[in-house]
Amino acid sequence: MTAAAASPRPLYPPKPPGVRRYREQLTTLGVFVFLAFLPWIPILGWTDIFDSGNNFGRGNLAFVFAYGAAAVGFNLLVGYSGTLGLAVAGLFALGAYGTAVLSAPSDAREALAGYDWPFLLALPVVCIAAAIIGVLVGFPAARLKGFFLAIATLALGELIVTIIRLDDDVWSGLKTNGGTGKQVPQFLIPGLDRILSAYMLSLGALVLMMLAYIVLTNRRLGRTLKAVRDIDIATGPLGISSTYYKLVAFGLSAFAAALAGAMWAQNSSFANPSTFRTRLLVFLLVVLIVGGLGRKWGPLIGAVFFVFLRQKLQDTQKLLFLILGIALILAVLVLPNGIAMLPKQVRDSRWVKDLQRRLESLSDFSP
Amino acid sequence: MSAVEASPSGANSADAVASLAVDGLQVAFGGNHVLRGVDLQFTPGFNGLIGPNGAGKTTVFNVVSGYVRASEGAVRLHGEDVLKLSRTRRVRAGIGRTFQAPRLILDATVMENTLLGRHNLFRWGHFAELLLLPQQRREETEARQICMDMLERFGLAEAAHEEAGALSLGSQKLVEVARALVASPTVVLLDEPAAGLGAGDVTVLLRGLRQIQAERDLCVIIIEHDLQLVTSLCPKISVLHFGEIISEGSPEHVTSDPVVIGAYLGHGFEVDSGEEPS
Repeated sequence: MTAAAASPRPLYPPKPPGVRRYREQLTTLGVFVFLAFLPWIPILGWTDIFDSGNNFGRGNLAFVFAYGAAAVGFNLLVGYSGTLGLAVAGLFALGAYGTAVLSAPSDAREALAGYDWPFLLALPVVCIAAAIIGVLVGFPAARLKGFFLAIATLALGELIVTIIRLDDDVWSGLKTNGGTGKQVPQFLIPGLDRILSAYMLSLGALVLMMLAYIVLTNRRLGRTLKAVRDIDIATGPLGISSTYYKLVAFGLSAFAAALAGAMWAQNSSFANPSTFRTRLLVFLLVVLIVGGLGRKWGPLIGAVFFVFLRQKLQDTQKLLFLILGIALILAVLVLPNGIAMLPKQVRDSRWVKDLQRRLESLSDFSP
Repeated sequence: MSAVEASPSGANSADAVASLAVDGLQVAFGGNHVLRGVDLQFTPGFNGLIGPNGAGKTTVFNVVSGYVRASEGAVRLHGEDVLKLSRTRRVRAGIGRTFQAPRLILDATVMENTLLGRHNLFRWGHFAELLLLPQQRREETEARQICMDMLERFGLAEAAHEEAGALSLGSQKLVEVARALVASPTVVLLDEPAAGLGAGDVTVLLRGLRQIQAERDLCVIIIEHDLQLVTSLCPKISVLHFGEIISEGSPEHVTSDPVVIGAYLGHGFEVDSGEEPS
């Protein structure tokens, strides 16, 4: 004990020397500087990178943010807690339609009729409602595993979309305008135009989600969710209720999905139920798996990759799916941990290790 | 108060209430009777639970920690029935356990894995975490301190920030024991803690366990096939065979019991009471 008191062990991982000492902090700082820089892109007019020649660039970046925010929550559920809940597309739709219907003027024509709520009230209400639905669904779903869970939650997602499709004569209070689609009332930030305010809103939502996500995964919740994923049944003797934490993950991911859906709707200004079918779910799965399942920066990287690819291939819709499929196969084969782990994989690879050894032996011989 | 009727077994009976008592426990999986009326009393100190494979040793642990429902009988922790409590509540009441195969998060560090053991003792919830409250931060540092001390006792301080998957099986089992102990339990169930450990690891394990047991007056119950280890460590051993206790008592008594020799030990085993296995 006296020896231990003389040289206390580090409670947190020891810092490697040099720049790598601050790698973690630098990465976090870098990402948030990057996020802080993003608002200036549309203002300065640098939208070409995500453009295909029709001035869609700003809007597309906003889609990156929306998908990123949804993927962040999805990552908590699937990547961290290992729960294959697939209701995300339906909850995304709930966020999109919920905010659209609640914030629409009540005296408008059918495609744009609603309940007159202010958008900034409707948004948190819808997100919290989605989180509650996520938790309620989680109760029975947390007892299921693997495929069974996937099927049950997939059905819930479809159920939400099916309810949205209901015609006015079935449920007139719903005001989703059935299968023909709903026009989304735009929330305008004072002083900004339509596209720009949607852009800033989406960015704000993403930054908010990222902040909460980084803080939570770095601390107790991150390791507890991983425990639920990896040692599920053995969490009992640790005093961790795996059901409780699965519900927490369900709630958080539902909140994120609804928020992302609302941002998506603000940005696309028109919502159609068929958008939220299984295709959206597959998109989000691609974002997550190509980016890196259960990796901190995976969702963000995946979202950039996905929207970039989609934009470049917009003219050839069929090719898009082909390339997405190939990307998914390649990601699983070559990068099982996603693009987020590429630097580490390169660092640990035989070639780089070999190169390092050669460089070291070179420096040994030099005077 | 019970000085007059003190039973011949001596010091143990001074504790009016056993740390963990199992009364008439019966468990059946379908028609397969795994436990047929098991009575066990565990007092602070080391208690051995031995028997051939399939005798029901792990089932006793599973009933106590809440994985298997008993069809009859009671399990009392310090006199209070725990069978109605959920697994999480039993942990709060003071029951800790490890598993035969280590269950760790392989891509988290040894420290993070050990911190899981403190999970229930955090007073601040996840909202405090999200709001970056300094109290929560302090609590985390405190928990890390406790975990680091525990890892140090089991010779794992150097490996604290390595990924658990990079450790050998033996070290992983030591991490699991450390994780069970940081939760400050009063009764610890260790399921074959020494199986698969090298000689050095066993020494470290025993030294750590003895230290902690002496400091906290802990009740440690060990299932183990390494009889040298059990007989040198446990003053009291119970032998389970086909769901029944066939013998109970000191290592010398148990190992010379003809019933135990016939059912489990075979001939030729002698208690090596002088030395510790090393």
